[in-house]
Amino acid sequence: MASDPQSAANQRIVEDLVSRLRRRQLVGSRAAALETLLVLRQVVSKARSSNINQLVNIIRAVGRRLVEAQPKEHSVGNTVRKVLHHIREEYHTASEKPVVESSFSIAKFVLQGQPRKQTTIVRSGSEARAPLKENDPNDPDSFARVLKPVLMEAIQDVFDELETVYDNISKNAKDHIHSDEIILTLGTSKTVDSFLKAAAHYRNYTVIVAETAPSYGGREMAKSLSSAGISTFLVPDSSIYALMSRVNKVILGAHAILANGGMFATSGSLLAATAARSYSTPVVVCAGQFKLTPLWNLYHEHGALDFGDPSAVLGFDEGDLVEKVDVINPYYDYVRPELLDVFITNYGDHPPSSIYRLLKETYDDEDNEL
Amino acid sequence: MGPKSNTGKEKLLDDEAEVLQAVILADSFNKRFRPLTTRKPRCLLPICNAPLLDWTFESLALAGVQEIFVICRSHPQQIKAKIAESRWSKPGSGIKIVPILTAKETFSPGDAMRDIYTRGLVTGDFVLVMGDLVSNIRIDEVVKLHKERRKENKDVIMTMVVKESGAKHRTRSKADSAVFALDPVTSECLHYEPIMGYPPSTVASIPREILIEHPDIEIRNDFIDCSIDICSVEVPSLFQDNFDYLDIRRDFVHGVLTSDLLMKKIHCYVAKDGYAARVQDTKSYESISKDILSRWTFPLVPDNNHPAGHLYEHRRGNKYIDKDGTVILARTSTVGNNCLIGSSTKVSDNAQIISSVVGQDCFIGEGAIIDNSYIFSGTTVGPGCVIERSIIGSDVNIRENTRIDKGSLIGDGVIVGPNAHLEAFGRLSKKRASGPEDGDENDGEEDDEDYADSDEEEVEAAQDSITVDLGTDSNAIVWPHGVADEDEDEDDVENAKNQRFMRIGDSASDLAYSDAGSESSGQESESSDDDGDFGERIKLPTSTSTSLDIPDGASPDAIAEEEFRNEVRLSLERAFAENHSVDNAAVELKTLRMASNVPLSRVREAVVAAIVERIKIIDGGGAPQRQEIFHVISRWGPLIDRIGGVDPVETISALQTHCSSSTRLLLFGQIVAALYQTDIVEESDIRKWHESPVSHGLGLPPGERADNHKKCREIGSRMIQQFDEQDEDSEETEDEGEEGSDEDDDEDEDSSSEEDEGSD
Repeated sequence: MASDPQSAANQRIVEDLVSRLRRRQLVGSRAAALETLLVLRQVVSKARSSNINQLVNIIRAVGRRLVEAQPKEHSVGNTVRKVLHHIREEYHTASEKPVVESSFSIAKFVLQGQPRKQTTIVRSGSEARAPLKENDPNDPDSFARVLKPVLMEAIQDVFDELETVYDNISKNAKDHIHSDEIILTLGTSKTVDSFLKAAAHYRNYTVIVAETAPSYGGREMAKSLSSAGISTFLVPDSSIYALMSRVNKVILGAHAILANGGMFATSGSLLAATAARSYSTPVVVCAGQFKLTPLWNLYHEHGALDFGDPSAVLGFDEGDLVEKVDVINPYYDYVRPELLDVFITNYGDHPPSSIYRLLKETYDDEDNEL
Repeated sequence: MGPKSNTGKEKLLDDEAEVLQAVILADSFNKRFRPLTTRKPRCLLPICNAPLLDWTFESLALAGVQEIFVICRSHPQQIKAKIAESRWSKPGSGIKIVPILTAKETFSPGDAMRDIYTRGLVTGDFVLVMGDLVSNIRIDEVVKLHKERRKENKDVIMTMVVKESGAKHRTRSKADSAVFALDPVTSECLHYEPIMGYPPSTVASIPREILIEHPDIEIRNDFIDCSIDICSVEVPSLFQDNFDYLDIRRDFVHGVLTSDLLMKKIHCYVAKDGYAARVQDTKSYESISKDILSRWTFPLVPDNNHPAGHLYEHRRGNKYIDKDGTVILARTSTVGNNCLIGSSTKVSDNAQIISSVVGQDCFIGEGAIIDNSYIFSGTTVGPGCVIERSIIGSDVNIRENTRIDKGSLIGDGVIVGPNAHLEAFGRLSKKRASGPEDGDENDGEEDDEDYADSDEEEVEAAQDSITVDLGTDSNAIVWPHGVADEDEDEDDVENAKNQRFMRIGDSASDLAYSDAGSESSGQESESSDDDGDFGERIKLPTSTSTSLDIPDGASPDAIAEEEFRNEVRLSLERAFAENHSVDNAAVELKTLRMASNVPLSRVREAVVAAIVERIKIIDGGGAPQRQEIFHVISRWGPLIDRIGGVDPVETISALQTHCSSSTRLLLFGQIVAALYQTDIVEESDIRKWHESPVSHGLGLPPGERADNHKKCREIGSRMIQQFDEQDEDSEETEDEGEEGSDEDDDEDEDSSSEEDEGSD
């Protein structure tokens, strides 16, 4: 397969992304998801396959490669799973197999408020396209020719979804934040940032930002919020607990949402969530759908917290100490589902206990292990 | 895949405006890792289970380098093969790696640079690194900075990357470091002084010229020199021009900074973030391994972007165990913090591994203790063995109950034991041609072997005299401890005592303390007081006073100086006779100075002397004499300031010294007046000279010369009186009396002049 020039070109863009992921030159869940999608689009458009299994295998192979390169950037694997899900869906539609869309989609239930009778549009294949032929020895390209435009469309849908993820999440911001509330947040998260800014159009409220050592992402966050005209306080992490009694709501970003309803988030999140629990302050998590990760046992793994270099905590120039002290600097905290109250996603608002359902609808079970 | 991927890559490269090139000197040019490096180049030694060269490639890839030339000298075939099979030569790596085989006669980095020049490899600014670099510094940003500097000033030829670390950092080499003098604003490197562990140095001298030009300088002794240099194309050609440059730091940097002719500038980039260090000796091998395991090199860590592509699981306490599930750790075995264990390795019951790296396919026997050691792949450690702070090569077999003390190096394929005891700092390698199976190597490799083994032969020949019990099954030969050769040069970095600072496990505390003490008590009693810590005492040479101590005795230096003076006289005579321009004469003098390596003050003396001798003595003196003096001074006087530094005070001193022993004593006053008129000396300079102890003839034996000296000074006193009178007159009309007002009454205050000695 590697012999033909097209897949060599594929190989190159895949390798390019792989090395950027490995070297951490590409950081941020959304950026990684977008890049992955671009690569997959390229791969699908150039892939030669005469049946669905071949195509799925090609995509899975690329996905595996990308995930191996950076197992801690979950959005990469999630995007691959999402694309696979869409491809299968389109394939089922095209091949006129009975559409087995579950009539009780939890996402739809949440978004539309009530279970509606599914208006399943049973698209008949004869409408506009030629019938889908698989493994046709006379015309091996027919499968690709027929399905490809549909697939590209499907990928474009995922793409659009990613593009609009912030808007969709912050759509309901005003329902979550009320006037004169005091909100606590930490770290820098584009999702939380746009959520808070969207709410500021309707409500007048105060944000307390913890500065989130050692990355000090909170400082940027506070700057960005106050420039948007929101009354903002920047506080050291140590005062989170002391301030918690006055806080009405904790809003956090997530790095990855796990199948059990727990999440990985910037280190410091566990501190805030635990403090919130002791005051029974609600903890709200804002995250895009691409952070939904169909893995549930990651928190057993020590390495999953992603340890950075110690220099942010202890300077390398402290020659004597470097020898004697082991410094660990995890990027993320694992926050247990019991500490969280609600996830606000672009698929609607969900309690941690129903995340598994959402995952089942978003991805296909067979892709959980790529 | 070869041709196709190449064309694709070239197309890719063409799109970029400029390809960032890097040159790796993949040879160490020293033997610090012997005997591990007898059959393998140093850059292929594994550190944390990946060859050093791969770490270097990864470091460069991280910085966005697109084309890498690997200059290899020893075992080039192995390096070439390694590069060919590595993931870097696969399509899509985005990097083009070209191995360059250089001649065996390349004995120093300087030779390698000359080779780069002759081959014309580099086309633009390039990154020069050593083949043993581990770094995560964003070199591309340094390159950008370098290019910006180049735009402003074409003379900036190099940027050295240094990392702040503190003087006593484990990764900072005590044996081979340096003091940098930097301009704090531009971070231009003004002076570079290498420092060795032995002989220890307590003094760093900064040339005075630097202090004149730069009001602020930073003197730093806390840098790790990572040997990452951003070089312009001129650098290899400078090596070509100066064929005696061997080392990039000691010779090239030092040479460029001290040269008056080149007028090139070198900058430093002080890396605040990021990590960079070189595995330049076994000691730094240990500390860099530890740095990697404690994640200072992030994102270049075993569980993320491991250069050899292994996948490790990161467990609590920075333990890294290979992820593929082939590692077998017995239930009762202990793996301590900061350990790395490669795939397919088996650790038996009750074995302990403490802060160590164990390669792939190793076997650790029951109850063995491995403490702070580095074991390459395929090695077997028998039951009950104890290994402390040592480096064990690959496929070594250590039989049961063997004890290996700290600092030992064991080469590939050695068998030791059973029940042997290797004393601290022992070095073992396998006997050559011990089995018939070694005979079937092909020719190309045999070449390498021959070359590498010249030392080994010697060691083997000396085996009879060494009686160490290495166990019944051993196939090892023992390398002698580094004893200082008689003819060894103490100033060489590779001297035996200095080497001790580079050894793993050797604190060299006996050297560091006892010698520093004895040295300072022998030479300068006061220096031992104020440098209890590693701080450097900076001594400023008072070169004004050096003009006096020309010894009458004919020491070798004096002879050389005498020769130099002669040369200067001849050269100036030629210039006078052929009426050269002042510029040409100055260039000639500079060259002379470089050739005979004399301080600037000597040149000044010689020039002043020659000019004074040029003045014809006209009988009767008076106006014609004055005219003659003025004529000569106005024609040749500017030369005094062109020889590489302006120092009018010294000029007058030199004039005084010369006149006091010459027949032109009487002309002194008139010459000074002429110098004053041609603006070569200012009024304040005359005053300063007058105050200085030199003008009193300090240190001269009483006699005619001293008397003449005094006479000259008296002339000076009279001139200053005149100045004062003038000042008083002019003070009323124009307001330029500042000079007069703060110095007006010190002409006869001899007591104050002694204190001023240091201020110049």
